[in-house]
Amino acid sequence: MSDMNQDREVVPLTTLFPGERAKIVALGHGAGRQRHFRTMGLMEGKIVEIVATQPARGPVVLNVEGTQIAIGRGMARRILIQKI
Amino acid sequence: MKRISLMGCPNVGKSVVFSRLTGVNVISSNYPGTTVDFTKGNTCIRGEKFELIDVPGTYSLEPTSKAEEVAQSMLQEADVVINVADATHLERNLYLTLEILGSKKPTIVALNLWDESKHIGVDIDVAKLEKLLGVTIVPTCAISGEGIKELASELCVARVSKTIEPMSEDERWAKVGEIIGKVQVVHHRHHTIRERIADITVKPITGIPIAIIVILLMFISIIGIGNWIIEHLMDPLFYNYYGPWIIDVVNSFAPEGLLHDILIGQSTGESLDFTQSFGLLTTGLYVPFAMVLPFVITFYFMLSLLEDTGYLPRLAVLVDTGLHKLGLHGSAIVPTILGFGCNVPGALATRVMETKKQQFIAATLMAIAVPCMAQSAMIFGILGREGLKWVLIVYVTLFVVYVLIGLLLKKLVKGESPELLLEVPPYRKPDCRTLLKKTWTKVYGFLAEAVPFVLLGVLVVNLLYISGLIDVLSAVFAPILTTLFGLPEGAIVALIMGFLRKDIAIGILLPLGMTPQQLTISCVILCTYFPCVATFVVLIRELGVMAMLKATGLMIVVTVAVGVALNLILNVI
Ligand SMILES: Nc1nc2c(ncn2[C@@H]2O[C@H](COP(=O)(O)OP(=O)(O)O)[C@@H](O)[C@H]2O)c(=O)[nH]1
Ligand SMILES: [Mg+2]
Repeated sequence: MSDMNQDREVVPLTTLFPGERAKIVALGHGAGRQRHFRTMGLMEGKIVEIVATQPARGPVVLNVEGTQIAIGRGMARRILIQKI
Repeated sequence: MKRISLMGCPNVGKSVVFSRLTGVNVISSNYPGTTVDFTKGNTCIRGEKFELIDVPGTYSLEPTSKAEEVAQSMLQEADVVINVADATHLERNLYLTLEILGSKKPTIVALNLWDESKHIGVDIDVAKLEKLLGVTIVPTCAISGEGIKELASELCVARVSKTIEPMSEDERWAKVGEIIGKVQVVHHRHHTIRERIADITVKPITGIPIAIIVILLMFISIIGIGNWIIEHLMDPLFYNYYGPWIIDVVNSFAPEGLLHDILIGQSTGESLDFTQSFGLLTTGLYVPFAMVLPFVITFYFMLSLLEDTGYLPRLAVLVDTGLHKLGLHGSAIVPTILGFGCNVPGALATRVMETKKQQFIAATLMAIAVPCMAQSAMIFGILGREGLKWVLIVYVTLFVVYVLIGLLLKKLVKGESPELLLEVPPYRKPDCRTLLKKTWTKVYGFLAEAVPFVLLGVLVVNLLYISGLIDVLSAVFAPILTTLFGLPEGAIVALIMGFLRKDIAIGILLPLGMTPQQLTISCVILCTYFPCVATFVVLIRELGVMAMLKATGLMIVVTVAVGVALNLILNVI
């Protein structure tokens, strides 16, 4: 199972479509922002799902283990994931 | 006196726990970041007196923001710490818990939202968690008061953790993961109705129409209910009972003369007019209690409902794209909506914006284009008599001004406009008692602030007329008012009063016998030209003198431009 996941391509979070699930691989960003992400429950190894994407390059709403987080598109692009 | 600090992440119920322990009302809401300043209160447990501090919520103590610095210093000064943790999100709450325990202060942990965690299928082994953390843990439901007694009695025997040592950031995250693995089981459950509603209200296709309906409903019910209260309660009360009585009373000791006129104006039993008499005891009380209060009550009730259910963050997400064009982001919707109630809390709430640039834009836009409820109530009451069309013109104009200045400021103001990063909390069923209490707290705040100022305003108006100063002022400003805006020279009194309070300023317009066009222009420029004193003072404190000077300059330019434009347009159509 874990071997299989390792082969998967690492892509930006913004490539995920609503309803798809993925594992977070890297948070990108500086240390302060990363801590902020983690304290919101957004951390490496967690499973993430897209709840909604706002039009016109608006924010995306994520679901990480039951916590919903709205995050700007630019910020989301720097978070890396593996689809599962 | 021993000092207890109440610490925890944002939106975990610290303020509710604080109110439970101290009996002091603090505003709590289902929106992260409601507590920016700290609140103090006293409580007595087993005969011992404690000072309790509601510390602003932070996720960690690494001092990267103002709130975290405050939290850090509050921790240092505390004798005992109550760490309020959210049982539904134990993992992310534990990071702060470990930091607090690492500081070696006597601590107890309140595992709050315990009811909710049961509801969503999170099982936490409290006994095991206690052993791992080395301090007492009390499951609580602050809203119903469950567990608060135990919390209070455990306070006296709070311990320093022997199991948790200070550690590095990475070690701490590893420790969090380790503990969670041992104490928490999450039962997988099907989507609840609440979650489904949560999804529907944040997806753009369904969410945007719902948002429009919610806002329209709010607007319609505020006007509808407000007018109903005025018609069926306030007006009968004032015209049938209070009016005749107060005229009798005043006539009994001052049948005529200066005192009589200042107290009740020219009112007699037959020609009782609470809006035009401009006496301290007639207009001075009628405006705040009968014209404004009914709308203020309904507004704050609706706002509390929006806050406590958790709808506001969703609204923030939906409007984010639009607000980005104005150099803001979705969270700016909070100060804006608060501003519709009163610009003062609106100005304070601009702190949710991360950068100076965003705070400046949010505050300036609010000060210029968001009329407070007192002002809106008077617009409904006075301009509404001429027809709904005119009221709409006022609000549409203000909206256009809001957007145009936003576009402009985004270009002009230096600095960064970061993107939205916001937790969208689950919907919560609002608690009826909390809702009413909150509404009352805010309404009381309005009365305490408004009544003295309105009375002062009425007094000043009387003095202006009696002393004849009004003629001087009119002569000086008349050319500007008449040539630029097409207003009668008497309107200057309204503009002067607007510094003090906007509601009384609009009230002054009534006896001037203006056309609907003139009234509309006056209402718009009364909103844009300058915030009331109370807002102005808060804005100086929040933005600094220099920024406020710039904002004021902008207000004057905008007012002249809008006033002239409206004067031209309205007189053509
Ligand atoms: N269901 C439930 N809701 C709670 C509980 N405690 C607080 N709340 C709600 O959680 C929200 C956040 O509370 P607040 O005290 O403002 O959080 P703070 O930011 O930590 O001060 C409010 O809407 C409260 O009504 C609880 O034990 N159970
Ligand atoms: Mg609070």
